[in-house]
Amino acid sequence: MIPGDFQIRKPSRIQVLILGILGIGGLVGAVVGLVLGAFVITAWLGLPLDVFGLNEGPEQPIAFPHTTHVKSLGMDCTFCHRNVTVGAAASVPAVGLCMTCHKTIGDGNEEISKLRDYHSSGLPINWVRVHRVPDHVNFIHEPHIRHFGEKYGGPAGTCQLCHGDVGRMVKVKQVRSLKMGDCVDCHKANDAPTDCTTCHY
Amino acid sequence: MADAKWGMVIDVDKCTGCQACVVACQSENNVPINTEDIFNQRRAIEWIRVERYWEGEFPDVKARFIPVLCQHCDDAPCEPVCPVFATYHNNEGMNVQIYNRCIGTRFCANNCPYHVRYFNFWEPEWPDTLTHQLNPDVTVRSRGIMEKCTFCVQRIRRTSREADRDGREIEDGARELSPACVNSCPTSALVWGDFNNKNSKVSNLAEKEMSHNGSHHGRGYKMMENLGTSPNVIYLKKIDKHAKETVAHE
Repeated sequence: MIPGDFQIRKPSRIQVLILGILGIGGLVGAVVGLVLGAFVITAWLGLPLDVFGLNEGPEQPIAFPHTTHVKSLGMDCTFCHRNVTVGAAASVPAVGLCMTCHKTIGDGNEEISKLRDYHSSGLPINWVRVHRVPDHVNFIHEPHIRHFGEKYGGPAGTCQLCHGDVGRMVKVKQVRSLKMGDCVDCHKANDAPTDCTTCHY
Repeated sequence: MADAKWGMVIDVDKCTGCQACVVACQSENNVPINTEDIFNQRRAIEWIRVERYWEGEFPDVKARFIPVLCQHCDDAPCEPVCPVFATYHNNEGMNVQIYNRCIGTRFCANNCPYHVRYFNFWEPEWPDTLTHQLNPDVTVRSRGIMEKCTFCVQRIRRTSREADRDGREIEDGARELSPACVNSCPTSALVWGDFNNKNSKVSNLAEKEMSHNGSHHGRGYKMMENLGTSPNVIYLKKIDKHAKETVAHE
């Protein structure tokens, strides 16, 4: 061999195999790491990242359009979510309440015929829950509506503080993290109690 | 209700040991069912328990009862030992336990002289027929955390919220406000209320029965007072004409 005549040695088959495995393993590792990182960031924010339609809101058994009812018809949130000014849960209306209008309105609409099927079968609609706080949190709608209602003129303006502008959402999605920091910040800003037993008991 | 200081007066003379308070507490606060197995392991959870003592020799035996619950001490020994501040004193004079903060070191239970803190050694289980009787206002505690009497804080919260909503005053000793044990007591041995309210039943009883300036003229005492925990639960001792003269107050 002449000095300076340097040639890269041809790798043996074993070496190719090992390097190949290492390379593919590294790639898989990188992808897994990215997914894990996205998961951690999501968990930290309390909301899915708003990319690739991750935070689109779930598919509901009936594609209920809040846009039609709230935006076009101008219905008040409390017309359907009746318990919100009284108790803990905002409550989802019974099928019968929908049927007061939809007995006559909406012939030929596919979603409304689904609703009528539910009504005639007597089964409840299995709505997919969008907003959920953990079991150790006792969130009660009523005092929040009462407090902010005085400020914003009634419950309707109050709901969107936490739930966003549901009237413009085709699919309802969560817009605020609703984690404890979120709650406490707002409680502090509004002189609400921040004792732990306000919510945790 | 931030200016309140909740407390209880327990008249041991009226207590018949019927255990109604124990049952009421278990069902109000989603306390897991204590099976024989669990009792034998000394891991039963009873936020309030009725201790029974026998006095005298057969046939002159007397059963003595004393309900014991969290004393909500002003200088609570359980509080400073918690490394995560899961137990602390709130501005209503209550010693509270925050379940989601608790990491289950059990230091607090070890430091409690009254043995009223209970650890969940298992995931609580109810028979299928009872799952719908759980109180939705109270968290079901999972395995690995400490729990104890809360003075039924969920009732205080609900009542004060509803009173706020309806613009009414809450009267002293209202049933909707009182803990489940107090409401269930058939002889009204348990009285519960606000020590800061000078006209409340508990304040009057404390005024009447506790010692003032060293002169002891009532039946009131606090459990293990000498430990300096300054409990918020006052006991009124039993009236017993046949009891042997003791040197209780030398």
